[in-house]
Amino acid sequence: MKVDLAEFRSAYLAEVEEHLADVRARLVTADEAVRASRPCGRELRDALRLVHTIKGLSAMVGIEPIVTIAHRMESLLRDVERRRGAKLDARSLEALVQGTSAIAARVRSVADGEPVPEAPRGLLTELDELEAVAAGAPVELEAVLDDEIASRLDASERAQLDEGVRGGRRAVRVDFVPSKEKSEAGISIATVRERVSAVAEIVKIVPLRTSAGITPGGLVFALVLLTSLSDAEIAEAAAADLASVHVLASAVPAVLEPHLESATLEAEPLDEDERASGSLRVEVSRVDDAIEKLSALVVTRSRLARAVAALSASGAPTRELEAILVDHARQIRDLRASILRVRMVPLSAVLDRLPLLVRSLARTTGKDVALEVYGGAAELDKSVAERIFPTLVHLLRNAVDHGIEPSAERVAAGKPPVATIAVSCTSEANRSVEIRVRDDGRGIDAEQVLRRAGLPAGRAADGATLLDLICRPGFSTRAKADETSGRGVGMDVVRRVVVDQLGGELSLETDPGEGTTFLLRVPLTISIVDAFTVRCGSERFAVPVGVVEEIVEVDESRMLTGPGGRAGVSRFMLRRGESVPVVDLAHVLGVSGASQPKHAFVVRRGRREPVAFAVDRVLGQQEVVVRPLADPLVAVTGLTGSTDLGDGIATLVVDLLGLSAALVARSEAA
Amino acid sequence: MPEVLVVDDSKVMRDMITACLRPDPSIVVTHAASGLEAIERLSLKRFDLLVLDLNMPDIGGLEVVEFVRGQDALRALPILIVTTRGDEASRDAVMSAGASRFMTKPFTPEAILSEATAMLAGGGA
Amino acid sequence: MTLAAPSGAVLGATGEATELYILFRVGESVMALAVSDVIQMESFTGATAVPGAPPWVAGIMQLRGRVVPVVDLRVRFGLPASPPTMDTRVVVGEREGRAVALVVDTAREVVRIAPSQLEPPPRIASDGAQGFVRAIAHLGPRAALVLDFGKVIGEEPLDV
Repeated sequence: MKVDLAEFRSAYLAEVEEHLADVRARLVTADEAVRASRPCGRELRDALRLVHTIKGLSAMVGIEPIVTIAHRMESLLRDVERRRGAKLDARSLEALVQGTSAIAARVRSVADGEPVPEAPRGLLTELDELEAVAAGAPVELEAVLDDEIASRLDASERAQLDEGVRGGRRAVRVDFVPSKEKSEAGISIATVRERVSAVAEIVKIVPLRTSAGITPGGLVFALVLLTSLSDAEIAEAAAADLASVHVLASAVPAVLEPHLESATLEAEPLDEDERASGSLRVEVSRVDDAIEKLSALVVTRSRLARAVAALSASGAPTRELEAILVDHARQIRDLRASILRVRMVPLSAVLDRLPLLVRSLARTTGKDVALEVYGGAAELDKSVAERIFPTLVHLLRNAVDHGIEPSAERVAAGKPPVATIAVSCTSEANRSVEIRVRDDGRGIDAEQVLRRAGLPAGRAADGATLLDLICRPGFSTRAKADETSGRGVGMDVVRRVVVDQLGGELSLETDPGEGTTFLLRVPLTISIVDAFTVRCGSERFAVPVGVVEEIVEVDESRMLTGPGGRAGVSRFMLRRGESVPVVDLAHVLGVSGASQPKHAFVVRRGRREPVAFAVDRVLGQQEVVVRPLADPLVAVTGLTGSTDLGDGIATLVVDLLGLSAALVARSEAA
Repeated sequence: MPEVLVVDDSKVMRDMITACLRPDPSIVVTHAASGLEAIERLSLKRFDLLVLDLNMPDIGGLEVVEFVRGQDALRALPILIVTTRGDEASRDAVMSAGASRFMTKPFTPEAILSEATAMLAGGGA
Repeated sequence: MTLAAPSGAVLGATGEATELYILFRVGESVMALAVSDVIQMESFTGATAVPGAPPWVAGIMQLRGRVVPVVDLRVRFGLPASPPTMDTRVVVGEREGRAVALVVDTAREVVRIAPSQLEPPPRIASDGAQGFVRAIAHLGPRAALVLDFGKVIGEEPLDV
């Protein structure tokens, strides 16, 4: 049996994306430390570990460019952490941010099935140069620790304790003793760690022996923490006795009155580890699979309803059955909503990436910009969120590039020197989310836009007209390649994504001298798949790429005919030693006007024999938004939903697997 | 039925290693997501092989090996270290601390399976 | 459902609460649908056929970004289908979250109808006794069939 690690690809992608998000979060925190000239050992250590994990995983699945970038980032991080007192400088931070983006872009390539670009030379050189910079000053130590613990902490951990104590928290040690009973009761070092990290900052967990050999009671975990809570509260979180809590160092009296805390102590720093202890990493394909099974349930339900209607028409008493059917329908609707919710990600996952981006843009353009973000609690479907991000990137880039004036110009106009861009999100009645991107810059110059569009100046141009003009393909007023944000995205693409792909709305308001506001309204759930567009007789259809094993050319001369073949089909072809029944899709779908089919899609359900569906021609391949056919009148087997290929007409999205199942079932029943 | 403890903070990595060991149906695999969890599990149950990643939060592979070798009961436990390229310095440290063998990522499924089989058969510490 | 007995009052008699209805033609019949059921009216250029749907379902169409099933009322009432003309319209009704478009031959008028103008449908109606018509409205010289939107789009009958 051969083990194929390529199966782990989608799991790899999911995990690496999560790690990248974590790295970004650390870099945002590190950025604040950079501005305040403070060390950020914790962030550096976490980022280091995450990048190292990304490197190892990428090596296993064989993506060298990512390994290369990660390795350099790792060296720089380690260098800053160990030799420079964990004090990060702006230039190094920028290089790390670039590195993260470069890795993210390559992960996207893998996800899209495209070749992965080599690691960017410029970035690698920059990372190498930064690592060569000389080491900084050593770190002082103040907190008093017992030898047992002291010997197990390294310099930056001791510095962390030190800083925490100076900041007014207590350095505390609490011991957790694992045992079989506790383990069976669900109390393990992992759960204790989670609970404690929710109420305190864990500096280190040190395993200690307390008697010869490891027997229950012979191993103890010493948790070294920084906290403002009382000993009793810490003991409770750690499922330990009060006696096992020792104070290592404190700047204030050991027993704290709760109301004293707010007066003398700083706020607890946000512990990234406490994020989402109730969350679950889910592979998108599993959710889609669940939705498919649910669609089958919906179709069966319609059949049941028709059967009951027939019973009722023949005079049988069906009152109770009908009441049950109504309940059943509601439950299926609710179930579908629940499953779709699993694909939902909080909008904040997208918004969290914006501050670093704006900082970067501001730096490259030399403008002074502050970003404010509001809302973000709304949740949207993962595929919608993924499409929103590049759209927001483009709008922000435009704002910083064109909308925002240099500080001097702003001051001369009586505006504050630092420009503000506000991104605010509100959800509407659980159907859509509204995102507003507003800047207080110079507004859109209608004259300039009209001129560039080749129209006579002096015409009145309202927001809608201006939007229409700037969204024309090729309108872009900037040069193509932009290093900072990678792929260039024009306003035409923004409109295509928001309106056509996501089925949302885009509008703009501008006030000369005051600023510009873009408003996006986007539906919360959507399904986007990669599909082949095909012609079948007089109609076009979309066929999801995922189910197609192969596209073959239909060669009439090599078709065989046999009596009562599989799936009730009499035509078949030989393919690699297998006989594959060939079915005319036009025939199955009741479409007229079919000509000689040229291509056939071979699909296979699980391990069963394959079936080939012949179509007139394959027209192309594109991503389509699938709108499910929810209404019972049109929920039929063999159709996943409908989509718009850009002509405003509903095009059916065909479910070849469902059709092949139906064919087999029908022939078996015959 | 040899019991193997696979320790790595990456779930994908743990799943991959488990998949690599699957061709031998007698092997029973347990997962631990951190060095701390690994030590806890080792204190509560007997294992025949420890597969250990070096790069983990809180306490890394090195500390785990030091701790394990400090226990009489675990002195003979075979330990297979899994490292990533560039870990050379830590690799030397962990081998001196008493790890039995190491493998560098990327490795092929066959390579890790044969290494594990050899160690279970009596490769030893 | 109890209806007020026809009082002989003239169309638009004062003192009675009247409701707005859309009038449209299907074949030879004039039909009516309460405005409260209707969300949109559009011209009709054709629907995308959905294989496997009942024969009176013409297919689906996109209406302002929303995908709605299309019911051919001619076929629903047992008439042969006919190709759309310039006058063909869709009347889009909505009931409990389900939006469905009904294809009709023409749709031009909106009228006020008082309860006194309504009477229960006769036993033998043109819909094969399936309950599509919930009342007959007397509008002067004309009579209109007032439709039960829910039954037309195939809701599960709760009270048989």
